[in-house]
Amino acid sequence: MAPPPVSDAQLIARVIVEDDRHAFAELVRRHQSAVRACLRRLTGGNHALADDLAQDTFVLAWRNLKSFRQEAKFSTWLYRIATNCWLASARKRTEELLGDRDAELPDDAGDDNQSMASDAGGDPARGATLHVDLTRAMAVLSDAERAAIVQCYHNDLTHEEAAYVLGCPVGTVKTHVLRAKQKLKTALAAWAPE
Amino acid sequence: MTANLAPQDDRWLEDALRADAGYLDDAGFTARVMDALPPPAAVPRWRKPAVAALWALAAAGTAIALPGAFLDVARETYKLIAAQPVSLPQIATVVVALGIATWSATVYALRSE
Repeated sequence: MAPPPVSDAQLIARVIVEDDRHAFAELVRRHQSAVRACLRRLTGGNHALADDLAQDTFVLAWRNLKSFRQEAKFSTWLYRIATNCWLASARKRTEELLGDRDAELPDDAGDDNQSMASDAGGDPARGATLHVDLTRAMAVLSDAERAAIVQCYHNDLTHEEAAYVLGCPVGTVKTHVLRAKQKLKTALAAWAPE
Repeated sequence: MTANLAPQDDRWLEDALRADAGYLDDAGFTARVMDALPPPAAVPRWRKPAVAALWALAAAGTAIALPGAFLDVARETYKLIAAQPVSLPQIATVVVALGIATWSATVYALRSE
């Protein structure tokens, strides 16, 4: 009989009490996909930067695991660290971000385009085009608006969880989401159904 | 599930935003993270016994320097307990509860091993 799966809480306890690196590696393995995907959205599809930030996220998680009070899910706590890493990086790169945003579109966004196809009426070409347009449109948003959209839609968090991740009141999250959606609807007006 | 309910005309946008990027293969990512972690703190083997010996030395020193203190504490504790109206069944209950707690703790510790 297969042994029962070890929960995140048990792995975290092993890391804290026994300094167990194998347990932490298992945590990284479990959450790497979600954290990297979240950062890819936040960085506008810059896979290399997203992976660097994801690595920083897990190293910070290792250093601060003792301060994790379980008031949120472990994945939500990781999103919070990831978002802070991205914001710090974005502040450093503000001038680049204000430059030619088209240049930020990744050359290797093909994987995302394929998965997007199924959400565009099953037409792969249409889905990929919508994905490219959406990535461009996301670049129009402010950092706070983009972060709110990523947490509430891509990561499917509640407004309360998103507020925890972003470190701001729930009302602020709702405002950011509303504004972001208005901007996106304007930018993607051609995609709106008649 | 998120509480982001939207009017029907936003559905197309929300569907696009929620599009799943799919599972990202690890592709050596975990190994890179583990390599980037700070090295484990090198604690010498003699540290634990040395700390225990120091504590024992401190306790013995305190007992020698303040011989009356331990007796005073024991005497006051006894007085405090004796002042409570305790019956034999209550004492038996406490002893049984302590036994069960000790047994449970031992079993748990052995299983954890």
